[in-house]
Amino acid sequence: MIPTLGHAAVVVGLAATLFAAAAFWLGARRNDPGLVLLGRRAMYAAFGLALVASAAMVVSLLTHDFSVRYVARNNATTTPPFYSFISLWAALEGSILFWTLLATGWAALVLHRYRERAPALMPWAGVTLALGAAFFFAVMAWPGDPFVRTEPVGAEGNGPNALLQNHPFMGLHPPLLYLGYSGLAVPFAFGMAALVTRRTDEAWLGMVRRWTLVPWTFLSAGIVAGAWWSYEVLGWGGYWAWDPVENAALLPWLTATAFIHSSMVAERRGTLRVWTHALVIATFVLTLVGTFLTRSGVVESVHSFTQSAIGPWFAGAIIVALAGSLALLVWRIPELGDTRPPGRPVSREAAFLFNNVLFLGVTFVVLFGTVYPMIREAASGERVSLGAPWFTQVNAPIFVALLFLMGVGPALPWGGASWRTVRDRFALPLLAGALLAVAGWLLGVRAAAPLVALAMAGFVVTVMGEEVVRGSLVRGRARGERPPVAAWRLATRNRRRYGGYLVHAGIAVMAVAVAVSGSLASDVTVTLRSGESVQLGAYTVTHQRVVSERLASDPRVLETRAELALAGPQSGALAPALRDYPNSPSPIATPAVRTAAGEDLYVTLLATDPASGEVTLHVFVNPLVAWIWIGGAVVVLGAAFAAWPERRRVPVPAPAAEPVPATATIAAARPEQ
Amino acid sequence: MTLARPVQAPVPPRRRWGLLLGVAAVIGVIAWLAFSGIGNALVYYQTPSELLARGGEAIGRQVRLGGLVKVGSVSGPATDLTFVVTDGTTEITVHSTSAPTSTFREGVGAVVEGRLTSEGVFEASRVIVKHDENYVVPTEGQVPSHLPDGG
Repeated sequence: MIPTLGHAAVVVGLAATLFAAAAFWLGARRNDPGLVLLGRRAMYAAFGLALVASAAMVVSLLTHDFSVRYVARNNATTTPPFYSFISLWAALEGSILFWTLLATGWAALVLHRYRERAPALMPWAGVTLALGAAFFFAVMAWPGDPFVRTEPVGAEGNGPNALLQNHPFMGLHPPLLYLGYSGLAVPFAFGMAALVTRRTDEAWLGMVRRWTLVPWTFLSAGIVAGAWWSYEVLGWGGYWAWDPVENAALLPWLTATAFIHSSMVAERRGTLRVWTHALVIATFVLTLVGTFLTRSGVVESVHSFTQSAIGPWFAGAIIVALAGSLALLVWRIPELGDTRPPGRPVSREAAFLFNNVLFLGVTFVVLFGTVYPMIREAASGERVSLGAPWFTQVNAPIFVALLFLMGVGPALPWGGASWRTVRDRFALPLLAGALLAVAGWLLGVRAAAPLVALAMAGFVVTVMGEEVVRGSLVRGRARGERPPVAAWRLATRNRRRYGGYLVHAGIAVMAVAVAVSGSLASDVTVTLRSGESVQLGAYTVTHQRVVSERLASDPRVLETRAELALAGPQSGALAPALRDYPNSPSPIATPAVRTAAGEDLYVTLLATDPASGEVTLHVFVNPLVAWIWIGGAVVVLGAAFAAWPERRRVPVPAPAAEPVPATATIAAARPEQ
Repeated sequence: MTLARPVQAPVPPRRRWGLLLGVAAVIGVIAWLAFSGIGNALVYYQTPSELLARGGEAIGRQVRLGGLVKVGSVSGPATDLTFVVTDGTTEITVHSTSAPTSTFREGVGAVVEGRLTSEGVFEASRVIVKHDENYVVPTEGQVPSHLPDGG
């Protein structure tokens, strides 16, 4: 009954989205607000139907309705309710359903918010969003039907993928990623609408940037959360492996980041306009490419999603979206000429231009590295792989250049800078960067990567610190505010800029943490008898005993753990374990991680010998890993601060005594402007 | 933002060339970074049959050997492990001093990275186990799974 309801909701949802697309289209062509309203209501209905279908799936999972194939494959009677619930997005068909829910949710939200504010763009954005949602409903109606039944109905299901039910974090990281992924359809829809209606002025850019920043925030959070999951759950001691699934999430993030920067140039300077449109298109298409690569089986990945017939559907969608949007863009190029000449080589827009070239460079490298093995095999039949070291080696210099530009961009004025400005602005930050690197050297750091990262981080943070301090002082003097008050008001009245600074600060922290943990980590693999110890760095790990027992929360799971005593800068008990799930042929590692600000002690149990009580352990000391998560949190916080809705501007005539805004004062103080 | 938009003298068009040259240089450097090291970075996947078919050429070359860990062949402690990898027709003895991940056991699909020595033993620098229940035994001519570090 309930699965039938879910399936019906999918079919009606497909009809509703197709109807919405037609209504928006006709409404826009005939300039008929009644039809547009009808289209909007159909999209609200589509969201409701996606909600009904998702609820039907969740109920089927919670009630262990094994007549549904998806439930039989991904659930068991003993699965705890929490893991039953999150199984909605744990496998292919469910995650398509979840994606549809989020995509229709974003569409309904945006169409509602802009129903009056952007009456010309909204219907065309509606056409694009409705067609996108229709595609997902169609995927669920045909090749990826989540409600397919099985006969005969078994008494017990297969249970969730053991790896995915081993950590509650699985409840957080995929929704964040999907919120980001699905939300990137919104800027694409507005970009298309702007091209169709020829409203390619600066107004659409503000809207599109806000609606890129929102999914960007979720995507960033999802990527960091995914790295954290990989680190805490997979037990290999690292957090990023350049796996195709990770790359798939990174690719649209890279182009969306490039867009957020280039749109500022397009808005302020009237240049890079075609390029900015192209980035919006590329970002959306890359979300489809990522799904195609990881869900169709063309690229094999550690995440090994079940292969299915959705591959050709996504390939078709990529071709249609790319061809359609590029054709529209090329058609409109004559109207997208630069309204101003480009800036000088030493100017903020030049820094942004190079930022974009570098981001696109990383995008190319990552995409190339992900698909190259596939192309090579198709071409010559040779099976090759391009390992993580290649990705790191090629991307590291590009990331260093990007870090450098992160400091350069905000410090340079638009248009061009004189030598004097450059010297004034960069003297202190360069000194700070050099001092930090020297401090690192004196502390005994000899590897190049951490020293370079320290120098860059010092440079970037000082540039932005100077900007904030100077801006607050100017504002404080002009308005008689105390510096903290002035700083807060300055930031909240310029959310985009100061939120951006916070994001940059977070990235700088992450860069140092990644460079340090990547090059200064140490590890050892040992086999210990009971009572024996191993030393790594300042830590001593002593093996006490092996315990094998069933988990209290899920008695089907047999946990074998090594009880260890830890002594050193951190001390206490550690219990890395291997968990045997009935539906997994091999045990799932459950590493024990002791996190501190300075370094993590990370122990994975590799093997146990029940007869002798011997255990084989892989012990890692990973410095500064905690700062990757802290930096990531700062990035997300900064992005949320920037995307936070500004107070509506009430058009009140400005009083005559209105002081000059602080930033204007700064700008006026720059002699070359 | 209320940042003042100062009036600016028109920039002569030749300024474009400086920027374009800079962009071209950056693209060139990225392309060089990507392609210069690719020959050394590529790791070839082979099944035991394919590897041995190469004869003497196979010795000393870095490859990923994909196959099944033969049941009954594993001996020694985790840090001095010997086992046999098979693709159903050909077998190669593998020796590894770095412990495999926890999921390693007899009968599982594995990818071992390392070099074939002249004694015919494969010295593995890394043993990676496919930890997926849908993993299919690689048959000859089939792609062993791509795996990242220790994945």
